[in-house]
Amino acid sequence: MQLLRTFARAAGTAAILLSTTALVQAADVSFLTHWGPDTVAKLEAAAAAYSKDHPDTKITVRAVPFGDLLTTLRSSGGGSDGATIAGIYDAWLPDLAKDKLVAPVPDAIAADTKANWPAGVVGAASIGGTLYGIPNEIDVYALNYNKKLFAAAGIADAPKTWDELLADAQKLTDKSKGQQGFGMINSWAAGVLHPFASLLVSNGGDLVVDGKPTLDSKQATETFELYEKLIKSGYSDPQMATADANTTGPFLDNFVSGKTGMIIMANWWESALKAGMGDNFADVATAPIPVGPSGDKARSISYSWMTVVNAKASADEQKAAWDFLSWLNGPTSGPNGASAMGDILMSMGILPSRTSDGAAFKDKLDSDAFLKGYTETLANAKGFPVVLGGQEFSESLQKTLEAMQFGQLSAADAQKTAQSDATEILTRAAQ
Amino acid sequence: MLAPATGLLAVFIFVPMLLTLWLSLQSWSTQTGFDTARFIGVQNFIDIFSNSSIGRDFKAALVNTLIYTVLSVVLILPLSVAFGLLVHQKLAPGGIVLRTILFSTYMVPMIAVALVFSKLYSPTEGPINQVLGWIGIPAQTWLSAPQTALGSIVLLNVWQQVGYFTVLAVAGLTQIPDSLYEAARIDGANPVQRFWSITLPLLGNTLLFSAVIAIINSVQVFEPVALITQGGPVNATNVLTYHIRRVGIERAQGGLGSAMAVTLMLVLIVSITALFAFARAREARRA
Repeated sequence: MQLLRTFARAAGTAAILLSTTALVQAADVSFLTHWGPDTVAKLEAAAAAYSKDHPDTKITVRAVPFGDLLTTLRSSGGGSDGATIAGIYDAWLPDLAKDKLVAPVPDAIAADTKANWPAGVVGAASIGGTLYGIPNEIDVYALNYNKKLFAAAGIADAPKTWDELLADAQKLTDKSKGQQGFGMINSWAAGVLHPFASLLVSNGGDLVVDGKPTLDSKQATETFELYEKLIKSGYSDPQMATADANTTGPFLDNFVSGKTGMIIMANWWESALKAGMGDNFADVATAPIPVGPSGDKARSISYSWMTVVNAKASADEQKAAWDFLSWLNGPTSGPNGASAMGDILMSMGILPSRTSDGAAFKDKLDSDAFLKGYTETLANAKGFPVVLGGQEFSESLQKTLEAMQFGQLSAADAQKTAQSDATEILTRAAQ
Repeated sequence: MLAPATGLLAVFIFVPMLLTLWLSLQSWSTQTGFDTARFIGVQNFIDIFSNSSIGRDFKAALVNTLIYTVLSVVLILPLSVAFGLLVHQKLAPGGIVLRTILFSTYMVPMIAVALVFSKLYSPTEGPINQVLGWIGIPAQTWLSAPQTALGSIVLLNVWQQVGYFTVLAVAGLTQIPDSLYEAARIDGANPVQRFWSITLPLLGNTLLFSAVIAIINSVQVFEPVALITQGGPVNATNVLTYHIRRVGIERAQGGLGSAMAVTLMLVLIVSITALFAFARAREARRA
């Protein structure tokens, strides 16, 4: 009897302990990103700071190269064992939301997000009015040029029009030195598309309007022809334009080593330029995208990133993930009223999209001549189209533009192929 | 006694194969359950051989894979025999050292090979072009142009794999009795005649095995493309495994990806069967 009583007591104690343990059981939250080791270390430090006040939440960070991010998200991130949080590019959102891989933002956090981020960025993180992620970075394209090469070529100012762009590219091209006037990018979809799209919108055109491709417009014809001129006249050498899976490679090496006079790139590559150029980074200047013959003002392409939560994670994990993201992107987690996310992004030269982060980092943004060139461009930037089938559309247009870069297609044939393929892809994806 | 093992093999080999075959006849997103798959007959196969962007990309990837495979096999097999003869010969010392050096390339992880080769091949900063420049050869485009990118990946593959196939060739060479060479020498056959009349014919089975393995390895090429070129430029290095990953996983078009995988499997089965049939016919003629 005594034995039975002891057993019953032990069982009762165990049950109480187990239930208590269940109540404080740690929520494991994993964060999938494509950031480099230095930035991951900053994110881990932020996670550690959060965990001090939230010991029940364990946050781990997993990084993969950009080229593998979507595949990792698709192959493992979508399952219940996949990453709880992932940083994604806005163009991927429609397909991920269609496949129910990402969870809608809880109402309270959604209301806070809508109140504290610009409407355009919130729109890019929403599908059918439902917000799916907390936006963090915004990227915009501008013309980067090497002031030393400009001075050596006798060019005083950055080109403002396409005619000036061609004239400057000619002056900067020196084949005996292996120097090209204007750098293009290949073997990386966004690297090919975004500069092309920036020139297109600066010529008054668009890639997609109301879900339908508009690559058959007059503005697009002129943009394809500009590319053809740059290639055929030798002002741009496609063999100096290769990118690798980490979005680095010869295109970056050639700009860093002063063999490329001008290139159209996004603000986020500031850290790569600084790392590669050292003191020579002072030679780099930023200017608006030159305006095409059909354009009215300098425009550019912008896109945003956001953090989403795995819809197949458990309810506890989702709750913990949103709570962490709300803190990470909130005004109390970083220095001087900035968010910790904003602080992490600024360390890479990336513009944070939260309105209060813009104010918190105003001095830094104003004093950074490189970034200032981008922030000034932002007001006239058009968002890169966020449509179903966006990734396939991007890869298809990338292939066509690369074929033109390497002389396999004329400007007219490239335009025809691009419009026809884009129509087929977007129509199929919308079904 | 073999039944449990056979059952396991059936589960882990035949079930996925049959599932892939079934999926190739469906319209299905890889991010949704099998219950969402919709039967569409052979439409996926029609699409991948059509003139749409889906079809053009698939056919280009198939051709790239065939070129990569043929070039790899054509380079690896003769090189492995040549290196095998060098390792196996007893006239000069250093055979074991050579075998160790050759085999060591096979043991280097592909990620390290990819990192090193992407820098070696760099058109402006790369050491290979710098060395070529010293001897008056103009800089080559390597991975930076569609005309040379696939060939550059083949060279990387040959560099890494040739050591393994050399070991296979050496194993085959050790099986050839010395007495045959002795008899040929007495009959007055020179080294070249001995190679064509004794070595090569008796290496037949080894070379057949090497060819099959080299074909399978080449058709499955994935890492160097994923790590270095991402299929570019202009899809020049977009081989089938990489393309299937892009379609089936990145774009979640599971039905199309499965149709591509089934086609790749059929091409591989036909190629290997043809190779064995050719070898059997040759043996029958000799008999």
